[in-house]
Amino acid sequence: MAMNPMEQFAIRPLVPLHIGGYDVSFTNQSLWMVIVIGAITLFMALAVSKRSLVPSRMQSMAEISYEFVANMIGTAAGEDGLRFFPFVFTLFMFVLFSNFLGLLPGSFTVTSQIAVTFSLAAFVIAMVIVVGFARHGIGFLKLFVPHAPIYLLILLVPIEFISFMTRPISLSVRLFANMLAGHTLLKVFASFVISLGGASLIWLKPLAIAPFFLIVAITALELLVAFLQAYVFAILTCIYINEGLHLHDHH
Amino acid sequence: MSAQKPEDLRKLGERLDAAERKYADRGAKPPQTSLGIAFRFSTEMVAGVAVGGALGYGIDWLAGTRPVFLIVFFVLGAAAGILNVIRAARELNAEMAKRDGD
Repeated sequence: MAMNPMEQFAIRPLVPLHIGGYDVSFTNQSLWMVIVIGAITLFMALAVSKRSLVPSRMQSMAEISYEFVANMIGTAAGEDGLRFFPFVFTLFMFVLFSNFLGLLPGSFTVTSQIAVTFSLAAFVIAMVIVVGFARHGIGFLKLFVPHAPIYLLILLVPIEFISFMTRPISLSVRLFANMLAGHTLLKVFASFVISLGGASLIWLKPLAIAPFFLIVAITALELLVAFLQAYVFAILTCIYINEGLHLHDHH
Repeated sequence: MSAQKPEDLRKLGERLDAAERKYADRGAKPPQTSLGIAFRFSTEMVAGVAVGGALGYGIDWLAGTRPVFLIVFFVLGAAAGILNVIRAARELNAEMAKRDGD
């Protein structure tokens, strides 16, 4: 009964596929991404199919998530940020559903892979850069020039530039690390239950109940973290989009 | 759906308004877990150093001047990391002050 808490993050090919020397196998990762997207589509389609004036529970949930994201963009990126609503909403729902579905026992957490979170974050930053240049032209580079005496700018511009470049990293690592830590913790405590329950000393067996209750508590905490990290990812996306749109400098 | 009398609807409206007022001052932002805050600050710091180092290494690799730019950008990266942490802490402070304020 060897239990490796990191085993749950292993990527296994389900349908091996090699194209042009690249391994593009359909893995458990791909499968769960499809499941996540399928679940979101099903949820939204079913929820709004009736379009009743007095919403059902499902429709309320869909409407709440819609309004939640719309408010978030409105406060963080202003009115013209709402053009990015489809993008931010898709991102938020994808991360949220990945985090939630990953909490199901035996499932695979898509967002516990740095490759996934970094791709999402890199896409966000690339979009901010494109939007910034499209809107302000070369003036977008003013984002890297703080208000300071000219001789300090030699030092400050590279620092601001590096600070900007860290965004995709901190954005992706935060989501990935939170998911990884939470799921590892759950697995470790679960293995305590099993090893205590299977202990050869009879008086040790009842002690297995203690880590079991801890798992229940941690699962509740992980539900909060799952939502929180999806929120953080989305709100930071909004803040970055806002900077691309309005070039707000930092005080 | 049952046919509702205007009286019922009016009462429902009142209850909804009351509920809205009750939850309005809670703030739209959910609380941060302390682990989340710790992750945030540490990744900001490490990311600054990592990006600075990588940039310096890249410039050195292109210009063949190793290790001049690696050293310079490593230090600049550390500065950027500290800047990131200060900004993150400032944001957090503002958020907390706002929550305590109302």
